[in-house]
Amino acid sequence: MLDIQNLQVVYGTGRMRVDAVKNVSFHVEPGAAYGLVGESGSGKSTVLRAICGLAPITNGRVLVDGQQVTTPRGKAFYRTVQMVFQDPYASLHPRHTVDRTLSEPLAIHGEKDGEARILQALKEVGLGPSFRFRYPHQLSGGQRQRIAIARALILRPKVLLLDEPTSALDASVQAEILNLLDDLRRRLGLTYILVSHDLAVVAHLCERLLVMQHGEAVEETTSAALRSGVATNDYTQSLIQASQGFTRVAPQPAQAPAA
Amino acid sequence: MTGAPLPLASEPSGMRAWLLSPEPHSRWQARLGRFYLGWRAFSRNPLAVVGLGIVLLLILVAIFADVIAPYSPITGGDLRTERLLPPSETYWLGTDDQARDIFSRIVHGSRVTLFIVVLVALIATPIGLLVGTVSGYLGGWVDTVLMRITDIFLAFPRLILALAFVAALGPGIENAIIAIAITSWPPYARIARAETLMIRNSDFIAAVKLQGASTPRIILGHVVPLCLSSLIVRVTLDMAGIILTAAGLGFLGLGAQPPMPEWGAMVATGRNYLIDQWWVAAMPGIAIFVVSLGFNLLGDGLRDVLDPKAAK
Amino acid sequence: MTKPLLDVEDLRVRFHLRTGTVEAVRGVSFQLGRERLGIVGESGSGKSQTGRAILGLTPPPGEVTAKRLAFDGIDLLTASKRTLRTLRGGRISMVMQDPKYSLNPVMTIGEQIIEAYQAHAKASKAEARDKALAMLEAVKMRNPGRVFSLYPHEVSGGMGQRAMIAMMLVTDPDLLIADEPTSALDVTVSMEVLRILDELVSERGMGLIFISHDLKLVSSFCDRVLVMYAGRVVEQLEAKNLREAQHPYTQGLMRCLPTLADDVRPLPTLNRDPAWAL
Repeated sequence: MLDIQNLQVVYGTGRMRVDAVKNVSFHVEPGAAYGLVGESGSGKSTVLRAICGLAPITNGRVLVDGQQVTTPRGKAFYRTVQMVFQDPYASLHPRHTVDRTLSEPLAIHGEKDGEARILQALKEVGLGPSFRFRYPHQLSGGQRQRIAIARALILRPKVLLLDEPTSALDASVQAEILNLLDDLRRRLGLTYILVSHDLAVVAHLCERLLVMQHGEAVEETTSAALRSGVATNDYTQSLIQASQGFTRVAPQPAQAPAA
Repeated sequence: MTGAPLPLASEPSGMRAWLLSPEPHSRWQARLGRFYLGWRAFSRNPLAVVGLGIVLLLILVAIFADVIAPYSPITGGDLRTERLLPPSETYWLGTDDQARDIFSRIVHGSRVTLFIVVLVALIATPIGLLVGTVSGYLGGWVDTVLMRITDIFLAFPRLILALAFVAALGPGIENAIIAIAITSWPPYARIARAETLMIRNSDFIAAVKLQGASTPRIILGHVVPLCLSSLIVRVTLDMAGIILTAAGLGFLGLGAQPPMPEWGAMVATGRNYLIDQWWVAAMPGIAIFVVSLGFNLLGDGLRDVLDPKAAK
Repeated sequence: MTKPLLDVEDLRVRFHLRTGTVEAVRGVSFQLGRERLGIVGESGSGKSQTGRAILGLTPPPGEVTAKRLAFDGIDLLTASKRTLRTLRGGRISMVMQDPKYSLNPVMTIGEQIIEAYQAHAKASKAEARDKALAMLEAVKMRNPGRVFSLYPHEVSGGMGQRAMIAMMLVTDPDLLIADEPTSALDVTVSMEVLRILDELVSERGMGLIFISHDLKLVSSFCDRVLVMYAGRVVEQLEAKNLREAQHPYTQGLMRCLPTLADDVRPLPTLNRDPAWAL
């Protein structure tokens, strides 16, 4: 479904040159979920932005459905690939109602029966019709992210790019959104690329994943391997370690809390 | 972090409940609800309401000038007996050197003032908005070219440029309006550009881009609405200055031409009688002052509602 | 039980707004010894406001009341502004979430640490400088001398947060309140920062209040955990006994996190019982 070959993204020139992504390649099958894991500055989000045209492709190729993407991307591309952003507080227009937000993509692509499609989209993300005319400030973080997902799905894309879709949310809301994403993928046969710093989230949603560091691919592995704690790379190992919570190196005789 | 939602003190009823409904049933209800919240915030500021009252009064007076004015604003009375009379029961604000009733002239002058204000707002705001948003959103050489043009216009003092314009096009109210409009858009372009630069890189703009929206669609449908509120505030606050500029042009004889009852021109004629017949100049002066004040108060109130960042 | 370092009883924080009064913290009580206490909760649970209220940093129009709010026997509610000032930053310090906003951008890190030290201790410039350098070394800066003369924008997030911790600990406080000290940092960096914090706390015998939304992190780092929901403490337990949590909210928070260890699908979600907020 998605083929990234030797992708390179460079910002600026000369002394200001930043190699955000260096020679990254991976392949995602239709209907699969692929994770990109790394810390800030690892280039994981830049890969996502380069796929959808928000970042320049300096070198290498991006193929969607066997077709190399054009710059600028055409309307057909946007009907195939959509994105969900990290911060639901920033990704919805503050002056637009849910209705306006959801009808915008339909209007751009000249789709008919907007009314039914909007209600359908709301239903898919587990929101009722009562949400249709609300403004973003009348919604909670989780509800906003559901609207953002509905907006991404309303054009019936095949690929969904997820940029840290739950990291701005509370743990209990994160669980709801992860369940929703899991469920939608199965029902609509979507292909996901998920960017996250949280190994557990990636392992939960994706089958395969790529660990990135300083713009380079460090290791491609599977969730199953992560779960069994198998990692050939030291960096991956340290990420697994960190995701288990805090560990005291040498358990000192810590002062007993006023016994 | 202060989010424990507690119910409002009193249960809203009827119309208010409908307006404040967290689940609006239609586009209109959502919009009206928003408007109502804005009005509630606005009406909490008594000075702003006074300002709104003054502006509404100006509009009403302009509409019903024919009904309100007791005399003709153009043709005066008997030049021998009714010239330069002090305020009295017959002539509430006195008469001028042509024996015309000053009150009637001020009432009719409100039309001229309103005409200027509305026309300048209608010409300058869209130009400023468009130049600012396009330049901010597109960036690059478009931004450079548009902003340098803006800089050129900004560099001229408003009254002087207006003077030059009127001198070139000939005196008259229409030319004065064009001159004022042309000199007042650059600050709006700057504001719109600054706002656009903040909005441009936000996720919600990236999201519409990813839906395949065209650049004009993004600018008009998504960027402009967010710039509009701070611009409305600025334009309202500028109105006082525009009225003064128009009055200044009238005073210099370059704006409205006699016998049109323009407040600035009225002050100019009253200048000759300032010591003995003070009311001839003072009455239109007070009108200019009150209306300018009204627009300023209104602008302040609007700023508190529309632009919470700038408030306090 | 020995005399507690901090004694909080029935702490309430109210905000009087136009739309009515919102109570962000509703009767929180706890005692703190020289231990690591975690306060966990989701956004809006009042955990941050609890930390701020202890330091007297509740933003206006907030109002703080309590039956007792005593630090080492000093009543913080009735103490004079002067006493509070010497306590704050001296014996009680706070580390905030994002170093970018808590460090002064136009002063070098070293100057800021010196200033923090001299505000509370009579020391010559040279002494303060030595102390600051020692502190930077204590937070494991590889090159303290260099970091000393850097401006906050010249250091990474992890280094900034360590500088912040150095600044907060330079006065040898007895109590440190850390409000989400690592949530702006990458996981591997945050582990490093936590390790430093942990060492300093146990070496110096400080009391630590660690405020976080991350139950996993808090339970692995702290000795004791308070779980807050809607402005109340719903459960208080030893960190090691977290698995045996009684309150359905704590249990729900534990379960709804995806883990590497097992693959639960769908993730159990939290059904909020309105009774919890009562």
